[in-house]
Amino acid sequence: MTATAQAEHGVRAELAGVRKSYDGVEVLRGVDLVVEPGKLVAILGQSGTGKSVTLRQLIGLERPDAGRIVVGGIPIERYVAMDPEEKPFRIAMVFQSAALLASLTVAENVSLRLREHGHLPDREIREITRRALEQVELAGCEDKYPTELSGGMRKRAAIARALAVDPELILYDEPTADLDPILTEQIGSLIARIRETRGSTQMFVTHNVPLARAISDRIAVLDAGRIAEYVTPEELLASRHPLTREMLRAAGLH
Amino acid sequence: MAAEAIGTRSGAAGILGRVGAGVLDALQVLGEVATLFVAATRAVPRSEGDRQRLVAQLVRVGTDTLPIGALLSLFVGMVLVVQSADQLRNVSQEVLGPIVGLAMTKELGPVMMAFLLAGRAGSAMAAELGSMAVYDEVNALRTLDVDPVRFLVTPRLIAAALALPMLVLYSDFIGVVGGALVIALDPAITLSVHGYLERMLEWVDFSDVVVGLAKGFVFGIIASIVPCAFGLRTRGGAEGVARSTTAAVVWSFILILVFDFLIVRITFALT
Repeated sequence: MTATAQAEHGVRAELAGVRKSYDGVEVLRGVDLVVEPGKLVAILGQSGTGKSVTLRQLIGLERPDAGRIVVGGIPIERYVAMDPEEKPFRIAMVFQSAALLASLTVAENVSLRLREHGHLPDREIREITRRALEQVELAGCEDKYPTELSGGMRKRAAIARALAVDPELILYDEPTADLDPILTEQIGSLIARIRETRGSTQMFVTHNVPLARAISDRIAVLDAGRIAEYVTPEELLASRHPLTREMLRAAGLH
Repeated sequence: MAAEAIGTRSGAAGILGRVGAGVLDALQVLGEVATLFVAATRAVPRSEGDRQRLVAQLVRVGTDTLPIGALLSLFVGMVLVVQSADQLRNVSQEVLGPIVGLAMTKELGPVMMAFLLAGRAGSAMAAELGSMAVYDEVNALRTLDVDPVRFLVTPRLIAAALALPMLVLYSDFIGVVGGALVIALDPAITLSVHGYLERMLEWVDFSDVVVGLAKGFVFGIIASIVPCAFGLRTRGGAEGVARSTTAAVVWSFILILVFDFLIVRITFALT
């Protein structure tokens, strides 16, 4: 795939002044963020600062109290309301818990959207599923159930499920949480490889500063419900922001 | 919130506030259940491809309930005869057949099977959907453009609405057999099994069976839609799942009894 084709496969994602409260507690206090097509962006921040909430607003699972979210030129509320067949691009999300359906096999999980909406022949669906599982190195696990997989395998199966819909934007909510360093590196490599091979725009929420620095094009630091910094991995090291310095110190990078 | 504010002023006002908050909560639950029922019913025409999930639910709701349903119905039929025979000792045991037949077809069969379904399959539905809501599986469906109501609720609703009338018929039959067993084996009962069945068939109309089946259909809807509604609104981890499951069973029981009363009133008004 050429660089142009890769860039074309990703979509621009924009959040402007996004606010969200739960039970009177304001979690997002005006998030402004622009992710260019095909870029891989990490969102860093302390627990409870609204990182996962930001992703949920971005995919339309929740509505912001105020502000604007536009993905691929379409306001997210309009995108969510569109008929699945008419959506001009797809957004996929990999949840922290992987969120595989326990009653379905790995292959059934991965092919779920294709079977529900694709109108593709069965053979083609099986081929897409096989390729998605191969990409995440889970070939041969088609008939296993999620409970038969390890934590890392479940995360990879969830990524395969996202890849199977050929998304232009992929959101990952703490994709390496609860994983050992080796599995963390594997998942990180996988996300980086997706950028190279598919060119999808990707955003991931993490507490892992070294991983964010290693694979991201840009890093957003979320502090108290606002984007405190939006910098390159190199710029992050030179940051003067107290939270960024504290996170770098805790990660042994400062 | 308003209830808490009122509660700080005085005891009486506090009680009123709590009652008011309870009523509002109950109305909210009923509203959510009704909304989900409408959504799940509207999704029925789009459920053509869900046969596999429907069959799986029919097995869970129906087939898996058969052994415990049989045991329950058998003993209820037997107890009905033992109790009634004792009461009728000095009158006439001729009415044992109608008592068992009418009680089973019109009331005990539908209500017993509905309680069994709500307690067994309904609690499992609430726990399963609650767990799926807590662990983002329901959200995952949404992000895959799969309607959770059509995918999760509609097959359960159809399965329960179809299975419960069948379970009611099954329960009626086993209950009657239970009664016949006691009549055959208990030397204190002078009525023959033939007489028991003959009197029963004289008294039990086809319309009585239809009322029981109609109750089964309505109770099947309640015993599935209420647990699904509680399951989908679950928040707060394992504790939340436990709360939803308990509330789903309690609400199902209450609504089954309320609708039982309403159906009885309506059928009496019509006849």
